[in-house]
Amino acid sequence: MRIVEIIVSPLLALVVGIFFLGLARKIMARIHWRYGPPLVQPLIDMIRLFYQKGVSHGRMFDLGIILSLAGSIVVVLFLPFGQMCPLSSSGGLLVILYMMLLAPLGLALSGGQGGNPNISIGISRKLILSLGYEAPLLLVLLAVMTRYKTISIVEVVNAQQSTSWSIISFPLFLSGLSYFLILPAILGIRPFDVSSAPQEISSGPMAEYGGKYLALAKIEHAFVLFISIALFVNLFLGGAANIVSFFMKMLAVFVLGLCVNAVFPRFRTEQAVKYLWKWPTLLAFVGLIITIAIRS
Amino acid sequence: MDRNQITKWLKAPAKMANKYSLHAVYFCTGCGIIEVPPVITSRWDAERFGVVPVATPRQANLFLITGYVSVKTLRAIIRTYEQMPEPKYTVGFGSCPVNGGMYWDSYNTIKHLDKYIPIDGWIAGCMPRPEAIFIAVTHLWTLIDKDMANAYIRYRKNYKSYRRNQELALGKLEWPPLFPVGDESQGNEQ
Repeated sequence: MRIVEIIVSPLLALVVGIFFLGLARKIMARIHWRYGPPLVQPLIDMIRLFYQKGVSHGRMFDLGIILSLAGSIVVVLFLPFGQMCPLSSSGGLLVILYMMLLAPLGLALSGGQGGNPNISIGISRKLILSLGYEAPLLLVLLAVMTRYKTISIVEVVNAQQSTSWSIISFPLFLSGLSYFLILPAILGIRPFDVSSAPQEISSGPMAEYGGKYLALAKIEHAFVLFISIALFVNLFLGGAANIVSFFMKMLAVFVLGLCVNAVFPRFRTEQAVKYLWKWPTLLAFVGLIITIAIRS
Repeated sequence: MDRNQITKWLKAPAKMANKYSLHAVYFCTGCGIIEVPPVITSRWDAERFGVVPVATPRQANLFLITGYVSVKTLRAIIRTYEQMPEPKYTVGFGSCPVNGGMYWDSYNTIKHLDKYIPIDGWIAGCMPRPEAIFIAVTHLWTLIDKDMANAYIRYRKNYKSYRRNQELALGKLEWPPLFPVGDESQGNEQ
């Protein structure tokens, strides 16, 4: 049973992630008063890319993208969604925190061999941005772990289902708000798409990817999309009793994020970091202090 | 999606995916840049046909060259075209890439773009309306269906003569040949 879950859950995450990518393009189009592409457009793109010839720039170029993809798949295994939790009893938030670093690291290693200056600029921007959102993210996770006295996500979900969602409980709604504010930065969507800005640095780390490399990078992006929203749903929206309601909650969070994405222009890098270290960090810090004070 | 397209998808997924996911590099050399933004944004919305602008030639499979081609930009056009992964399609937009247009007498523009890189189709006019891009895209779909959008195969096959034309226009090229050419170029390398 567990082996089946281990095989099925990344596939499910992939399908949902690609569906979200298609939905994102459609919703963005409707907000722009356009008709928009068909819902399966990302899938069509991926099929096309897998049939196209890709140019490799060396062995690390191939391995880095596989490393980041593998890291994302492992994180999916540690996330409980619905009643399915393949490996989440053996790992906790700390494992996820470490494993989430593999995805940008793999892209950085892979892009390093590309030799395109736009890639280096994109990667440095991405690492600076991750420096910006890792601080509030750590504070948020610390607050959650302190509140529920555990590092296991499954126990956090169970505790929320016996009482109430932590986004509407008193000290943790500050942390939840903070996580929602940094969610666009984790996803790399506007106003925080500094690292993949197509107009400035020709899509940054992706600049040399073509063919199957770009397809793998898109799949990886779909996984990152799934992971960061699923983590929010698990920690603050009380997980879910079954998979369907879990995905409905994810959809709600995602559409909210898209509305931000559709109407805001892009920050400059230093503006993004300034913002991330001001409001989300402040909220997360106050939330953590109050959580500790209530607990003792 | 139509129901009768499903059999086509099963029969030739690569061809269908190439048709409906044309990621374009717009090479707006002189004029023509005004016609492209309405096409890709709200007014005409090319994304419903799967036509999306991308930032780098590595990610693209449609190359749109708008406006006159000066000798200086020809160099960039050739390099951009050679960086695109196969299969790739090229469309010349406006009458200047077709035959020089109103720049026929100019000392500084090239007259026939298809001497230097292979072209799948032309959009004639000075300037064509933005809707002409959609007509070009649908024509390109027909060509892909009939396996007639084979400019990249022609480029591979006749690379030697294309390279010779490029060298005639630009002098010595500072990048190595994309495909192996005959004896004379190998002699140059040694």
